[in-house]
Order: sequence, then C-alpha cells, then structure tokens
Amino acid sequence: MPSINNNKAQNFLFCFSFMMILSSCSSMNVTEERVYEGGIKTVEASVAEVSELDYETKAIFANATVFFEFDSYNLTSKSIQTLKSVVSVMNQNENIKITLAGHADERGTREYNLALGQRRAESVKDYFILNGINSSKVSVKSYGEERPVASGNDEISYSKNRRVEIN
Amino acid sequence: MKKIFILFLIPQFIFAELVLEITKGSDDPFVIALLSFDGKKALTDEVDAIINNDLKRTGEFKIIKDEKLLSSPSNEEDINFNEFRLLGINYIVMGVLESEDKFNLSASYEIYNVVSKKKIRTSKVFGIPNKIKQLSHYISDGIYEEITGIKGVASTKILYITEIAEEKKSLYELIVADADGANEQVLLKSYEPIISPAWSPDSKQVAYVSFETGIAKVYIQDIATGKRRVAIENTKQISSPSWSPNGNFLSMTMYQDGNAEIYILNLKNNNLTRLTNHYAIDTESSWSSDGSRIMFTSGRSGSPQLYEIKLRKYNSNPERITFEGNYNAKGSYLKNGDGIIFVHRADNDFKIALKYFNENFIRPLTESKLDESPSISPNGNVIIYAVTENGESLLSGLTLSGAKFRLPAKKGEVREPAWSGFLR
Repeated sequence: MPSINNNKAQNFLFCFSFMMILSSCSSMNVTEERVYEGGIKTVEASVAEVSELDYETKAIFANATVFFEFDSYNLTSKSIQTLKSVVSVMNQNENIKITLAGHADERGTREYNLALGQRRAESVKDYFILNGINSSKVSVKSYGEERPVASGNDEISYSKNRRVEIN
Repeated sequence: MKKIFILFLIPQFIFAELVLEITKGSDDPFVIALLSFDGKKALTDEVDAIINNDLKRTGEFKIIKDEKLLSSPSNEEDINFNEFRLLGINYIVMGVLESEDKFNLSASYEIYNVVSKKKIRTSKVFGIPNKIKQLSHYISDGIYEEITGIKGVASTKILYITEIAEEKKSLYELIVADADGANEQVLLKSYEPIISPAWSPDSKQVAYVSFETGIAKVYIQDIATGKRRVAIENTKQISSPSWSPNGNFLSMTMYQDGNAEIYILNLKNNNLTRLTNHYAIDTESSWSSDGSRIMFTSGRSGSPQLYEIKLRKYNSNPERITFEGNYNAKGSYLKNGDGIIFVHRADNDFKIALKYFNENFIRPLTESKLDESPSISPNGNVIIYAVTENGESLLSGLTLSGAKFRLPAKKGEVREPAWSGFLR
C-alpha cells in the first residue's frame, strides 16, 4: 500500500512540474493572414459530332448487343450466337466497319469498370478476329458504367448494363 | 394549415446550404465557448454559423454558444475563468468583425485557455465582404490548429462531378466547391461523361477524364485561366490520372495494347515510363505522400485487389496488399503512410474501408450499399466519399475520430469527390 501512495505522489509531482514547464514555456501565438482570392474560369467542352451510320448498317446491327456476368469478360454461348450472325453479315459485305462499345454495371469503381468495359469489347473483337474478320475493320472503346441502358438498382437492370454494343 | 406548412418550410430552405448532419462525434471532445463575433449583425451571424459548422464537422469539438453561458465577455478583463471552468469549458473564442475600408474587412479573434487562464492566440484575417465564407473558414482553421495542433481543412476545396438528366442527354459538370459543399463553381461543362477528377499538388490545376471526343482522354486544366490540354496525344483511350506529390509526374492508365496498363508521364519532357505489364486489368494508380510507392487495382488474382510497387527499388515487383474479400479497389494512402483507404465489397455491398499496414484485417467504415470514390483531406483526418441511395448519389464524409456528416443535397447525381491540398 505505501508504495502505491508513493507512486501517486510521484506522478502528481511529475505532472505538476511538467505543467509548470509547459506553462512557463508557452508563448501566445500571434498570426495575421489574408484570404486567398483565386479566380475560376468555366470551360465548355465541344462535343465531337458522332458520324451517323448509314441506314442499312444500322438496321443490321440494331439488336447486336452481347451481355456478360459480373466482373467477367467471358463470352457466353448466347453471346456467341449473336456474334456468329454478325460475322456472317460482315463476310457478306466487305465494306462494313464496326465499333464495339463495352459497358459495365454501376457496382464497383468507375475506373475499374472502364477497364472492364474495354476488356469485354476486346473479348468480342478477339472472337471476330478468330473468325476471319480483319482487325482493321473493328474498333474498340469503353464507356465503363457511364452509359447505363437500365437505371434500376437491381440484378435485372445490372445484367442489361453489362454489355458490348456492336455498331 | 397552409400557413403552418410555409413556416416550417422556410427555415429549412434558408439553411439548406449550411446544415450538416452530424451523426456521431468524438467521445472526448474539446469543449469550447464560441462567443458571437462583435460587429455588423448581418455579417457576424453568418461568420458565427460557418465557424460553428466547420468545427462541428470535425467531430472533435463540443460547442457552447452564448445562450448557454453564464456571461458573454467581450474582452479579456471581463472573463471570469472559473465560471467557464464550472461549465466544463476548455477554451474560449471571441472576436470582432470590422470594416477596414470600403472594400476590405477584417476579423480579429482571440483564444483563451480556461485552465491556464491565459490568452493563447491572437489572430487577424483580412478579407473582402463577398468572400465572408472564406474568411470564416480561415478563422475555423486558426481555432482548429491552435487547439488540436493539426492544420484545419475548412478553407480547402473539393472537386466533384455532377450529372443532370436533361430531355435526351445528360449534362455533366466538373465542380469546385468549398470543403463544406458551399460556393460551387463550374470548371467544365460537357454533354459527354467526365470522370476521375484529380488535383495537382499545388491545387492550381486539375486533371480529369473527358469523353468529349468519343473516347476517354485525360485532360489537364488550369483552374484560374480555364486553359486546358490533353495530357498526352494518343489514339487509344487514356484514363485514371494521378499526380505525383512533387507535381512532376502524372500516372495514368493507358490502353495501348487493348488492355489497361499503368504508365507514368513525365510532365516536364513528356516521356512515358511503363509501370505495369500484365494481361489482367491494372488501373486506379495513386501515390504515397513521399512519392516512393504507387498503389493500384489489379485483376491479376482473378478479382480486383490492391497492389503496390516501390518506385525507388530496382526491378520492383508489384506486391499484393489486400486479401480479404473479392473486391478491393481504388485505394489511396493515408497521409502518414500507415495504411490505406479503399472500396471493399462485403457480401453484396460496396463500402469504404481502412486497412493499417500493421494489422492483418480491414476495418469497414461505412454502412450503405454503394459507397465509392473515397478521398482523404490534406490533414489526413477526414474522408469524403460518394453514397448512392435509392438511385440518388450524394457526398458524405467521416472523420477518423468517428464523426460522420453529409454534404447538402444537390440537384442531379453528385459523385467522385476529390480533396484539394492546403490553400491557406
């Protein structure tokens, strides 16, 4: 018991002297400053005109969209059915050039989804090249999660948004 | 009935910009008496309200205002310190707002330590009447740094993206606002998506991704002049910009060979250095505060996980730093380098999480279903992030001391907040 009391006393002494040192050292802070006035300029981006496809090509690819599982860029057997018909149309018409736009659902981070959309579009491009389409006829881009077709927050909407559109 | 309805509505409308929802604060806050500023009431009311909100938002203060005090002294001689001590108050703040001349005003304020019965700070801030908000934030930061010993972030800014649906398309805006969400100004308007805003370390420029040409490209824009340019000319898409702490480099994700890989662009000579080389996705690079490490998201294990590369090591290989769960992405380093903040998937929810390097588990910090884009304040104490609830997205914040707050709702979707450096 006495030793504990002794400790308490020591602690108190230590704290007290520490506070004395602190207060004797502390000096008042004096500051003067001016609010920084940075200007801001608004810029408007001029959005590039997207060249419209001719009516015939549009009609052929009207429903050419393939869908994917969450965080996946593997083609499903249903996708391959769609792609097969696109390949046969392209083989019949040498002049057709296509753009593959990859998309993702809103879950997960935006940049990862942008990369995922790109991978999905690349998977489709790989399929075309394997099936004899010249790679110069296929261009690829991604919109990530920025261009959803279904706006709901449920699996049905998500599954509609995980897609590659062929145009 | 109608009259009552209006009465209830008006006060809410007036304060819509300022009211913050503090859900939880520190368990052991500093107790301060925040006396109303002397001066023209129309101005001092606003100053008092902003300082009150700024300090509250940190979660580290319990604020006692005049009406709860036994006296409201207006100078040092009038202070009865024992009276304040009885109320459990640690500090007293008082000040005065004065016009200097037609175009300038100043705020002088003093902070007293109730225990030592001493004046510990006397400060003066000069400003202009139509920037009274900024002036108030400077005072808040002075109070915060005097009492906590840490620099305040009330006078810093945030960048974010808004999307407003119009008849056929959406209008996207890159916006800069004060840290409390007020004083919004538009940096860029576009009818194509804008994503991934990032500050230069001196907070004078911003980098972002714009789809205005039809594909994703990284742009660098000067805030004051509006001058902008693409970071590097390239026919393939480029995204996810992140500035090195010294401002000399910009790491980006490039799609040269179809796949997302991280490159470092030297902004002085436009030289590109490739950082990653893997058939899986590599993106979302971010730098440690000392510039010695880059963290990024990679799908190389089969699911998105965080990895880091040590830049000052010869032939450094990426090392995996997250192992829990099947989705860990968009990491940023804590300012002191002790750990990381990132987006973590738990069951079907995406949450903001924290992992300290000396712990082998992660700490989820948020409870919503779809939280994303965490950004850390320059003093390292606050995290701001985007929450999606019922199809709406807005900005929320949390402090490492345990406080949570929500920035006022805006029209349209609000997302991808990015916190500036210190501006004061």
